Amino acid sequence: MKTLIHYLRAINAENIKEWRIEWKYKPDFFRQFVEPFVYLLPYFLYGVALLGGRFSEHLRSITGIGDMIAYTFIGYLIMGFLNTACWAMGASLRKEQWFGTLDTIFVAPVPRWVYVAGMAAHSTCHQGLIMFIQAIVITSVFAIVFKTTGIFFALLIVALMLLALYGLGVLVAGLTIGLKQWWVISEALSTLILVVTPIAYPLAVLPLIIRKISLFLPTTYGVIGVRHLLLGEHLDIGLGTIFLRLAVILIVWCVFGFGIFILMDRYGRKKGILSLY
Amino acid sequence: MRIIIQELRKEFKILLAYPIEIAFWIISPILWVIPLIFQGKALIGGLQSSAFGNLAGTSEYIPYVLIGAIFSTYMFSAVWSMGNSLRNEMFYGTLEHILSAPVRPIYLLLGKGLYNSILSTVFVVAQILICIVIFGLSITLSKIVPMLFFLLLLLIGLYGVGFIAAALTLLVKEAHGLLHMFEYVLFLFSPIRYPVEVHPVTRAISVFIPLTYALIALRGILLGLKYDFWQTSLYLFALDCAIVPLGIVIFNLIEKKTKTRGTLAHY
Repeated sequence: MKTLIHYLRAINAENIKEWRIEWKYKPDFFRQFVEPFVYLLPYFLYGVALLGGRFSEHLRSITGIGDMIAYTFIGYLIMGFLNTACWAMGASLRKEQWFGTLDTIFVAPVPRWVYVAGMAAHSTCHQGLIMFIQAIVITSVFAIVFKTTGIFFALLIVALMLLALYGLGVLVAGLTIGLKQWWVISEALSTLILVVTPIAYPLAVLPLIIRKISLFLPTTYGVIGVRHLLLGEHLDIGLGTIFLRLAVILIVWCVFGFGIFILMDRYGRKKGILSLY
Repeated sequence: MRIIIQELRKEFKILLAYPIEIAFWIISPILWVIPLIFQGKALIGGLQSSAFGNLAGTSEYIPYVLIGAIFSTYMFSAVWSMGNSLRNEMFYGTLEHILSAPVRPIYLLLGKGLYNSILSTVFVVAQILICIVIFGLSITLSKIVPMLFFLLLLLIGLYGVGFIAAALTLLVKEAHGLLHMFEYVLFLFSPIRYPVEVHPVTRAISVFIPLTYALIALRGILLGLKYDFWQTSLYLFALDCAIVPLGIVIFNLIEKKTKTRGTLAHY
């Protein structure tokens, strides 16, 4: 119990430290609250350019939802948490290296994963706040109506997806120890996940092989589950199956992520490449 | 000239130390198009849209988006690489050394800019080759000369954008996120994924972005869409004449300011 409290204090210290660093760069801090809107608008405009309006009969025929804006928005809102895994957690150790503090924090009496967990805690709070503001603004501006009865289970699905993504974040952080140039790993992984996850389209339009791959991603179940609960998207699989598969993926991804992290940490120290650039 | 060559050598040495980056930059712009293809199929159920045709002059949205993605490599490379170049020197611990060397910093940036231009061209050529093999894109010699002409005009303008991005880094230090935002703004207001005529605001702002004219011309050449060669090149040239001096002035001003305030080495 004492050890757990010790770790939790370290995680919180890392979280507070990160808020302080971000607050030091105020333009960048406020930018993070505006950016999701600028990121999202091209997807809306692309849809409008294709349809000549907001509603799609074809989308309605395959998903039950005709509103392209609402459909696309939910997908990209949920995918915001991918940033937590790939960028914030992945970059955590590399950033310490840039600041010149990696070696110093690595000799502190806590396991290495605690730093990554601290970064995850910070990023989840920060990203959650950004997404909350984004959800309020977009739903108000575009007059999107959600089914409020589905909110509780939707949040539960998001929580499971997020925990599974922590496994990915730990994996990226581990790979950074060995491969150094973290942003390439993060960008490559996030691009692949963005391509395979049915963010702005249903699973039905994906080629068979990509559809099969997407079934191994927590983001797939996160997006389709939340869309089903909040917008009423037609699904081929039941809600129970979504929860079950998410739970299995969570375990597999976390075990795999932590396994790779431990391996890379050992490898880094054995080869003496920890402080190399 | 020696400074620029040395800068080029250094940048290529650093790049070769992280070879995974090369593969990433060649493949990723093509990967970014894939979700747009799926989204298009989900929304209209096919590969042609009459609404899109009314705005873009072609109802086939995939070649339109693909060309936008490939040639936007130049713009994002200018924003990212030149914007981050001084921040990277800061991280390496070499910023003060290179800025206190007896050379004008603008030459160092020119070296970095030239490196980006060469690298982006390599990436774009590789992406075009991939499109020729996979999507059956056809390019004849008669298309290459006007393409190179417009790419040159685009590159000149992007140097100005790169200088502004580098100045931004000197000013706010942690510019990684702001550069990302800058990139998204350019995405929003340039005809990369959709014709800017889709909304009056995007249409109005796009006239100040060099990539807008370059893409009009490049799509005209590659897809046979209607465009006015002389008018487009004149607009692009005029924009270059405004952006490059503006970029140099902004960079010089901010560099002077950071040196006067003594914040050059601040993190």
